[in-house]
Amino acid sequence: MKALQIAATGMAAQQMKVDVVSNNLANMSTTGYNARRADFADLHYQQYARPGTISSSDGSMLPTGIQIGLGVRPTSVSVILAQGSLTETGGDLDLAVEGKGYLEVTLPSGGSAYTRDGALKRSADGLIVTSDGFPVVPGITIPSDARSLSISNDGEIYVYFDDQVDAQLLGQLSLVGFTNEKGLEATGSNLFVESAASGSPNVGTPGLDGLGILRQGYLEESSVDSVREVTELIKAQRGYELNAKVITAADQMLAATTQVR
Amino acid sequence: MEASGYVTLSRLSGLRREMDLVANNIANIGTQGYKSQGAVFSEFVATVPDGRSLSIGRATAWHMNMTDGVLGQTGGTYDLGIQGNGFFQIETPDGPRLSRAGAFTPSASGELVNMDGLRLLDAGGAPVFVPPNARDIGIAPDGTISADGVPVGQIGLWQPVDPLTLTYAGGNLLAAAEIEPATGGEIHQGFIEESNVEAVTEVARMIEVQRAYEQGQSFLDAEDERLRNMIQTVGR
Repeated sequence: MKALQIAATGMAAQQMKVDVVSNNLANMSTTGYNARRADFADLHYQQYARPGTISSSDGSMLPTGIQIGLGVRPTSVSVILAQGSLTETGGDLDLAVEGKGYLEVTLPSGGSAYTRDGALKRSADGLIVTSDGFPVVPGITIPSDARSLSISNDGEIYVYFDDQVDAQLLGQLSLVGFTNEKGLEATGSNLFVESAASGSPNVGTPGLDGLGILRQGYLEESSVDSVREVTELIKAQRGYELNAKVITAADQMLAATTQVR
Repeated sequence: MEASGYVTLSRLSGLRREMDLVANNIANIGTQGYKSQGAVFSEFVATVPDGRSLSIGRATAWHMNMTDGVLGQTGGTYDLGIQGNGFFQIETPDGPRLSRAGAFTPSASGELVNMDGLRLLDAGGAPVFVPPNARDIGIAPDGTISADGVPVGQIGLWQPVDPLTLTYAGGNLLAAAEIEPATGGEIHQGFIEESNVEAVTEVARMIEVQRAYEQGQSFLDAEDERLRNMIQTVGR
């Protein structure tokens, strides 16, 4: 009896859904976090009687045959690309990306990672870094005697000094777009790295080529929709229970089989 | 007597298959675009040696429940739900397949693919290309894709020429002998068609199958008892 294994695949799938939902809920307040969604597909099918099998001694044939599916498998846990709402923080290095695009970050290994978490900081020597201390490309250092800092929508960083009237252009932040954003590999700490599925990074100026713009003084909130997550959780829980019920029923049928004399 | 034993056995093995079907339906309660499956018991008429015939019930056919699943709102740009008639055409190494599962994403090369990486085909049977630099992608109910307001392609809806040839191919795909463009369906962007498995119906069927199975079991018991008595009475 395959019902036991089939129900087990169903339970595993629902369990995975609960895992994804709980991770989403845990990241309800994570800056720039996008909710994930688990997608499933039916497993392969076993052909018991092929169409055209003779169904009676007078030669009549089965029009359809019989196929039995072997359960379910997860196909993907993908990011739901949605703009999180922007909260005003007033921080001069708090940046929200409004629209598509990621900030590029240099990892200690020298490789690149991408993030939408724009809560940037200054390092001890004035370099613009992420909360984890990774420098943001192109590696702009803010002079220690700068009075204030202004970042335009298209990523230009200006600093004001006490002894100068005009602001000085320090550098330009760029945004990076991907053909398949869902294909980026999440590495934790709000970072993503390029994968074969994501396509190569397209570096561009904020506001051009379909990229979003930067908003200084704002942070992008997590786009997790708690109502949606809770309904998903309920669905997953009921689905799990139903599959467990199938296991019980299949077990009882097997028990009945062994009781035949 | 052998006949009654075989008739019951055939019924029991059919019920076990039906149980597997129910289990598969329930396992796929969260599978997008899944169509629930039902078993059909049909009569197998066998000729027995003395010229009479014997009818056996066998579960050798099935049907696919084609009712629409609920369209669940997801808000995703490439989440497409079909309302009404029609399927997406998906390109696979084994030939074109049909699918109602609507979660797509652009691949690294910009073509729309499903979650297994298989390409979605448009109304003319060619891959659907989405410009990567578009700020806003809209998909109209007739499948027209527009990038920043400019039409760039059209997703086609297809149907099997003969619905009876539809079989499950796994991976949210259905196979059909021949397909043709479909009419009467609408594509809704930001929605995904959920599984059309109804929990209540499946649980009711499960209980039904289980009880029928136990009934068959006790019938075998009773037959065994009858034979035993017969042997004892005759042999005395």
